[in-house]
Amino acid sequence: MKYLPLIWSGLWRKPGRTVLIFLQVSVAFALFGVLQGLKTGVAHAVAAARADLLIVHSRLSLIMQPLPYGLLEQIRTVPGVKVAVPVELTQGTYQKPDQGVGVVALTPEADWPAAFTFTIAPQYLAAFRKSRTAMLVRDLTAQKYGWKVGDRIPLKLPVAQQNGSTDWAFDVVGTFTDSDIGGGRYIVIVSYPYLDEARLTGKGTLNHFNVAITDPKLAPQVADAIDARFANSSHETKTESLREMAQASMQAIGDFDFLIRAVVGAVLVALLFATTAMMVQSIHERTPELAVVKTLGFSDRAVFLLVLAEALSVFLSGAVCGLVLATLALPVAARFVLGLSMPGAVIVIGLALGALVAVISAAVPAALAARLRVASALAGHRAA
Amino acid sequence: MNFIRQFVALLRMSLAGTRQRLGSVLTIIIGVSCAVGVLVSMLAMGSGARRQVLAGAHEDRVVVNSLGASGIQSSIPRNEADTVRDLPGIRKGKDGKPMVEFQSVVPIEARRRVTGRRIFFPLVGVTDNPSASDPELHLTEGQVFRPGLHELIASRPCLRQFSGFEIGDERPIGGVDWTVVGHFEQGDSQQCVVLADAEILMSTLHSNSYTQATATLQTPADYAVLRRALESNPTLHLEVRHEREAREEGIRQLNGLLNFAAYFVGSIMAVGATLGAVNSLYTIIDSRRREIATLRALGFGSAPVAAAILCESMVLALPGALLGVLLARALFHNMAVSPFGFSFLLDVTPRLAVIGVLWALAMGLLGGLLPALRAARVPVTTALRAT
Repeated sequence: MKYLPLIWSGLWRKPGRTVLIFLQVSVAFALFGVLQGLKTGVAHAVAAARADLLIVHSRLSLIMQPLPYGLLEQIRTVPGVKVAVPVELTQGTYQKPDQGVGVVALTPEADWPAAFTFTIAPQYLAAFRKSRTAMLVRDLTAQKYGWKVGDRIPLKLPVAQQNGSTDWAFDVVGTFTDSDIGGGRYIVIVSYPYLDEARLTGKGTLNHFNVAITDPKLAPQVADAIDARFANSSHETKTESLREMAQASMQAIGDFDFLIRAVVGAVLVALLFATTAMMVQSIHERTPELAVVKTLGFSDRAVFLLVLAEALSVFLSGAVCGLVLATLALPVAARFVLGLSMPGAVIVIGLALGALVAVISAAVPAALAARLRVASALAGHRAA
Repeated sequence: MNFIRQFVALLRMSLAGTRQRLGSVLTIIIGVSCAVGVLVSMLAMGSGARRQVLAGAHEDRVVVNSLGASGIQSSIPRNEADTVRDLPGIRKGKDGKPMVEFQSVVPIEARRRVTGRRIFFPLVGVTDNPSASDPELHLTEGQVFRPGLHELIASRPCLRQFSGFEIGDERPIGGVDWTVVGHFEQGDSQQCVVLADAEILMSTLHSNSYTQATATLQTPADYAVLRRALESNPTLHLEVRHEREAREEGIRQLNGLLNFAAYFVGSIMAVGATLGAVNSLYTIIDSRRREIATLRALGFGSAPVAAAILCESMVLALPGALLGVLLARALFHNMAVSPFGFSFLLDVTPRLAVIGVLWALAMGLLGGLLPALRAARVPVTTALRAT
């Protein structure tokens, strides 16, 4: 404890230099925090995805391979199935070609929200069931385009109507929120019976079925039972839980693991080099002072620890500052990359790394300081 | 004139003393090279993806898809195909038929060979013999699929990345077993693509529309003719784009994401490197206080002193930039990556090297500003008296 003032005055001998090193460490660890937060956030998002919600899609592919509507009745009779809802997906645009809207067309049967990750107020649900051209809008979509309940919204869909037109119009009857991070950001829900009746081609087909099951533990058995029903038919299915799908899609980011490691490595190397050079410079300049300290009776080891403690305090405070910055920045970054979060483990690893870099970069200067010979140092010879 | 003479003399003096201040100088160089190296390597992803997609795009080829749709969302009903073939401006082949090829694209799910993770690749049904219609494509093994049979040919990257693509292997698609009969290469594309006969593929999948069509124009100028003909035909809901434009569109989102990530990480690293440079320059100036004060006493102005420091900082950043670019080129050029399931080679282009150097010069300029001011303000008398 009694050495604290000594460390403190050592730190502030050249305030500019200390502040700059502090900032450099902060920046490095802010980047570390964001990159690691990306990696671990993905793992958390997968764990949070629902395991009791199954998606039945074509065995060929998850996207763009239609299934016939007729499979619905057979899926319903599979034991363990609570709700099965037909879903057709398409990508529309609003006013301009670059203003995309993900359109989820579904059949509003009783209790259909159980098979989705959406949260919808009861009065909106009732209104949606009443009108064929009704549209429910995700809160983010409504915010982005400024839509309100009661508006009639023209959308351009890549689906032609009977008269050949690709211009559709829907009435906003309510809003909803979505807890699934893998789903689209700007999505709307419309009625499948209306869409299917009004379209020119592809009638009676759809993208996939959402299935809610009675017991999450039965998910693998129910999925296998559904696929078994359609095995060797012309419409073989593949049933997966939302969690399995999140795992699969998030693994794509796993390819960035190498990149993240390389970037963090480059950051730490640059930091290590910069701080070592600074510390050596600082020890050179302080040769007479360190000599005086030794004359007063400080052992070599004490001087070594003193220099190490200085480095540690700058690095740890800088690392804390950087990680706090990263935590603050994550909500902003999460707007671009879904599923970012900063678990405690990242902070612990960050601080440990900070201490490690501090010790490595201070080792040489601290050894220089400890090996200082008092007589020659006092005579004005620099540490070498 | 005087300013320039003083400036040149000062700069030569500072650079001559580089060897005595090796620690500080190396700090600047290594900091800058790490920041530039990371920026350039990450930008190389975007340019690599773009190079692969645009390779083999011809000026005289156009892509036709359904209005407002792109990629696999597009569809051209089979009964509109003949109307498309007869559109004006399309070149006739040797056999006198219009050079229009229809494609039916189906994303197929597969598992990675090593990790077992799921990934999609396109199965493309084509109406023409692919080795005849695409000069970039050449078979490396086996033969082309025969029309009317459930046969596939796969690109070399499929073989490397996935299991089940050896010649003779059978893959179940749409309830039928398809036999792999050949392997092909398409430029240096790293993407797994599987080709089959469009008619047999569509009948197996009960599909009645093609995804898109690629047509060869008589001359690039015929684009306008074809476009007008399509727009004036009320029965067709199709649009035409240059092949290059259509392909660029397909990669825009991925490219935007990759470049955003590159500049985000690159900027943060540049801030760190700039801070390090400021610190080093301060150290350099502090060790030269007496030298600078002497020069000022001899009649050197403060403006040339500041300008020389600023220039020195940029000159020191340059070797860092070159080192960073060289490292990125040596370590990552032509490395195969597959972010988001799209495989391509990293491409460190001269353009990226220029961006890296400019980035480094900006770091040097910003990092040199404050130290240059301090150098210009060295109080002559006190600095000369100090020991």
